[in-house]
Amino acid sequence: MIEADRISKSYGRGVYALRDLSLTINKGDFVFLTGPSGAGKSTLLRLLLRRDVPNEGQLIVGGRNLADLKPRQVQAYRRSVGFVFQDFKLLQNKTILENVALVPRVLGVAHSQQQRRTFQVLKWVGLQHRMMAYPMELSGGEQQRVAIARAIVNDPVIILADEPTGNLDPDLSLEIMNLFREINARGTTVLVATHDRELIRRVGRRSLTLNHGQIVEVT
Amino acid sequence: MHALKYFFSEAAASLWRARGGALLAILTIAVGLFALGLFLLLNANLQQVVSQWSESAELSVYLDDAATAEQLEAIDGVADRSQLTAHRQYLSKAQALARFRSDFPDLAGTAGTLDRNPFPASFELRLKAETSEATAAIDGLVTALSGMPGVTDVRYDREWLARLNAIVRGARIAGALIVAMLALAAAMTVANVVTLAAAARRDEIEIMQLVGAPFAYVRGPFVAEGIIQGGTGAVVALLALAGGFYALRMRYGALTFLPVSEMAVLLLGGMALGCVGGYVVARRVR
Repeated sequence: MIEADRISKSYGRGVYALRDLSLTINKGDFVFLTGPSGAGKSTLLRLLLRRDVPNEGQLIVGGRNLADLKPRQVQAYRRSVGFVFQDFKLLQNKTILENVALVPRVLGVAHSQQQRRTFQVLKWVGLQHRMMAYPMELSGGEQQRVAIARAIVNDPVIILADEPTGNLDPDLSLEIMNLFREINARGTTVLVATHDRELIRRVGRRSLTLNHGQIVEVT
Repeated sequence: MHALKYFFSEAAASLWRARGGALLAILTIAVGLFALGLFLLLNANLQQVVSQWSESAELSVYLDDAATAEQLEAIDGVADRSQLTAHRQYLSKAQALARFRSDFPDLAGTAGTLDRNPFPASFELRLKAETSEATAAIDGLVTALSGMPGVTDVRYDREWLARLNAIVRGARIAGALIVAMLALAAAMTVANVVTLAAAARRDEIEIMQLVGAPFAYVRGPFVAEGIIQGGTGAVVALLALAGGFYALRMRYGALTFLPVSEMAVLLLGGMALGCVGGYVVARRVR
């Protein structure tokens, strides 16, 4: 599913965010990326979202070398990826329903189907009763559940989450992780970047520890 | 259809959020299009006045007292074949004196003291309205008539009409330049307003890019914003023009408003201006 072959990414002369990194993640895997701040976790996720390309090496997802994609192919690739960020990235001037429905809407899905899908995922994350609320009216945990609903509404094959529990307390964090586990149980590949080792221990899945842009430990 | 609905609903919401700037852009477009409309309106009415004046412009062919009937017929034939005249009238010496007495009653007595009638007979040729700019053809007719037997003089107020035509042409060029500058200013204002809107919507744009929304969906609302601003500006300009026009017509009368085709040009022109402004910004979104 995801194959990185000796990829490096530097943003300045001699400053590497990722260095000679290789990894393989199979379809349906649930993998944690962990390590201290600046280890390269977010950079790897940026490359996987095709917001950036490696300076060296190849990053292949679903058989496609991400560096070779043309703009329209990038759009098509991103439709197969769901993302969740620490700061939720919800639009404050739109309701919960509109935030989640934005994805099928801009992908040209018919209105009735948009509404049906959006309601289904909001129900799945337990927020169907708040769908007319605005993000600022929700707690941090609820906002992250909305972000997860938005990430899965298009039924992606990969979910990328960058510190999704960074702003949440331990109980809410575990609740969010349980949602990711459920998503993964349906066959979706899940990649979660977190520096919370306790959370990784409690969830008990494969983890790759990065430091200075390299994998230093696999557990 | 689904996409268009999305573009315009997003654009309307965005314009409402930034209504101060949007209003400024709409007014700038309205001023530009008002100037264009005013120019078209003046042009149409000026054209009408020039046509009326040109129609009333006469070419006078003064005749020798000894001119024969054949010579008069030949002169009339040349004027007729030129196809420049709308109306030809022969004025005898007696008719010329009578007209003088009627036009200048204070001097009528003076004319009576003369031994003989000093006014020559003449042909008065009224030129067709559409010949107002055909100065070369009229010059040719004047030359031809001047050289004919029985003709003593040919008078035509060329200079006056030529000057009028030059003024009309100059006004058209100056008007076109002013309108072009105002159009450019309007497009730039729209671009600035849409740029601000793009900055206000950067989170939304980022999310749309991350979910792989097609470029059309990311850019469409900006173009729609421009079209809405341009179209609204055009409607405001047309309303202001119509208001001013009817107020003037009540006072001066005999003025004509823009034909439907030119109103459509203004409306579509406004939308096109806004579209250009919006597209310039939309192209920067990748």
